[in-house]
Amino acid sequence: MAMKHIRFAAVVALASVALVGCSTASGGGPSQAAACAPSKGKVTLNMTTWVPGMDKVVALWNAKNPNIQVKVQTGPNGNSGTYQNFFNELKAGNAPDIGQIEYDTLPAFRVQGGLQDIGACAGVQAAKSEFSTGLWNQVTFGEKSAVYAIPQDSGPMALYYRKDLFQKAGLSVPTTWDEYAADAVKIKALGGSITNFPKGDVNWFAGLVSQAGGQWFSTSGGKWTVNLTSPESTKVAAYWQDLISKKLVSTIPGFTDQWNNAYDKGQDWTWVSAVWGANSISSGAPTTSGKWAVAPMPQWTAGANVSGAWGGSSSVVFKGSKHPAEAAKFILWLNTSSEALTKLNEVAQLYPASTAGDQLPALSQPVPFYDNQPIYVTFGDAGKVISPFTWGPTMTQTYSDVSDGFGAALSGSGTLQDALAAGQAKTIAALKAQSIPVNG
Amino acid sequence: MSSVATGVRNVAPSRSKKRGGLRNKRAVFLLIAPFGVLFLAFYLVPIIYAVWESLQVIHRDGTFGAPTLVFGGLSQYALVFQNSDFWASVGRVLLFGVVQVPVMLGLALLFALLLDSPLLRGKRFFRLAFFAPYAVPGVIAAIMWGYLYSPSLSPFKLLTSQVDLLSGGTVLWSIANVVTWVYVGYNMLIIYSSLLAIPTEIYEAARLDGAGQFRIAWSIKIPLIAPALVLTAVFSIIGTLQLLTEPEVFKQFSSTISSTYTPNLLVYSTASVPNVNLAAAFSVVLAIATFILSFVFLRLTQRKAVQA
Repeated sequence: MAMKHIRFAAVVALASVALVGCSTASGGGPSQAAACAPSKGKVTLNMTTWVPGMDKVVALWNAKNPNIQVKVQTGPNGNSGTYQNFFNELKAGNAPDIGQIEYDTLPAFRVQGGLQDIGACAGVQAAKSEFSTGLWNQVTFGEKSAVYAIPQDSGPMALYYRKDLFQKAGLSVPTTWDEYAADAVKIKALGGSITNFPKGDVNWFAGLVSQAGGQWFSTSGGKWTVNLTSPESTKVAAYWQDLISKKLVSTIPGFTDQWNNAYDKGQDWTWVSAVWGANSISSGAPTTSGKWAVAPMPQWTAGANVSGAWGGSSSVVFKGSKHPAEAAKFILWLNTSSEALTKLNEVAQLYPASTAGDQLPALSQPVPFYDNQPIYVTFGDAGKVISPFTWGPTMTQTYSDVSDGFGAALSGSGTLQDALAAGQAKTIAALKAQSIPVNG
Repeated sequence: MSSVATGVRNVAPSRSKKRGGLRNKRAVFLLIAPFGVLFLAFYLVPIIYAVWESLQVIHRDGTFGAPTLVFGGLSQYALVFQNSDFWASVGRVLLFGVVQVPVMLGLALLFALLLDSPLLRGKRFFRLAFFAPYAVPGVIAAIMWGYLYSPSLSPFKLLTSQVDLLSGGTVLWSIANVVTWVYVGYNMLIIYSSLLAIPTEIYEAARLDGAGQFRIAWSIKIPLIAPALVLTAVFSIIGTLQLLTEPEVFKQFSSTISSTYTPNLLVYSTASVPNVNLAAAFSVVLAIATFILSFVFLRLTQRKAVQA
């Protein structure tokens, strides 16, 4: 509320306060610059990220590269504010040289004309061999010579579960979603919840859909097709709606104090989450140290071995950077050198996107919080069986509209399937508003 | 404010000679310059910019074609009037306002009258105590109340485990409680200061006529402070239409707060897409609606005052 500011102003002026908060963002420059010539002399690059401890990684680079100095600024998670800052900065023409963007939001930034094509910069094309084909496609959009980002980390998903509670209850680790639902009933009888269904983590839900073999978006013939209501997507929604209707899962907003508390107190027993979730549990539920274990994701068909991905970031060079060659050189070092990747894993538990990063000694070490299980090995295996997923050009909007529908379903009006149908319609409308060709 | 400035300019030349008038003009200009610059930079320019943005639409070719802005007339406004989420959010804050504003102002008036009556002891303490919540930043207040309401974190588990204060049906009123808590003291102070401005002879006369404290409050104080009540009501109506902080913070406590819960939240999430042009159109419509509502309220209350 703006009450504090309005004590002395006239009513007319007051009414206009509503206008002030909303006058920036969007847009972007057109044509792609193909050339990538190095700058002369000493260069300072600005970088914005939300990786905790990034300054320590950058310090390694700055010590060795006196002529290319990198300044780090940290902000909140992408969807919690940093993306909006990026969009605003791009519109204002003062974006940082380098930014962190998750794979799911790369299309949105490209659609807004915010990404510098670094395909012509030295060493970038050669980096292709360092990454899996699926990931490289995410950062090139399948184009031949263009490269819009360098993959940083990936978010293969697996099942975190409370080993101690499962043992005490005489339950074995669920390997299929049917077993998972059956366990949910037993855990409910013991006064707990098998897991939490967060309305806001729609990207988590997308990971589950991708595991089931679904796709939400595709492009062909220069047009997008939106398919939030595909059979696979609907199957996953119906499965979770059933658990929600039977009150077998808790429905706390994710990554909040309440949510931490539910895990810390042993109210919630499992979490199907990405590799970086290891850090969320150990920091949010510190009293449960040594009681967790990690197993592969439950499967839709017994004996199958498919995983999904949640999150995972890339480093981009923004349009308007005066030093794309130096910026590209730095983000290549950051995301492919074993020196940087080891440090990133040490300070932020990032699981490197590069295939060589898989072999880092740190990733085969036992992790004390998880009862000395070498959990990164499990996630490494999951990373090899992720089914690829295509992201839409307005994911921020898709997430928030689906999340609104999920919220309604959690409070008993409507279902998750309804939420997907509404998200479908609103996404098509949003694409049309952005003048993006779309079927439907 | 600008009308005040023109008033001064018109008055000045008639009073003094031409040279003196010039000097006066310069002084006036100098004195209003700081206000004028800030007003221009933080009100007028953003408003004009928002209106300009709201008149444009995006054009592009192909799946990933570069976006270009072209003039789209009122097409964004057509979208605003077709948007059911927007009207649902406006309806929600109006319902909120119809209940919360009278309750808050009623309490503020009651507290102000108590502070002003000779019956109450420890006035300084109560004045400060009632006003203190206003000194708590809005976000902090919302977080604090969020914890108090939360079923698993609240110190009042006996209550919060029985009544879900964050469910779809109750959360709007839980927010109303937070807003009331924060702003009662502020409104009380405005009303109280206007009570202090009433000449004491009037009370003396009333007492001589045999009026008691209650009668004085009802028949003398309240009619005399009516302008202050109108002022606080207008501020509150504007504040209600612009609800943002509390619902935004409550998102992390309740799953029922959607990204379109209040008009300002909708503007914010539309701008995040980013669809600035539509967000700008929403803002312009909201501003005009706020203006009309405040204006109508002022008109109605003034007519009433004239009739009385």
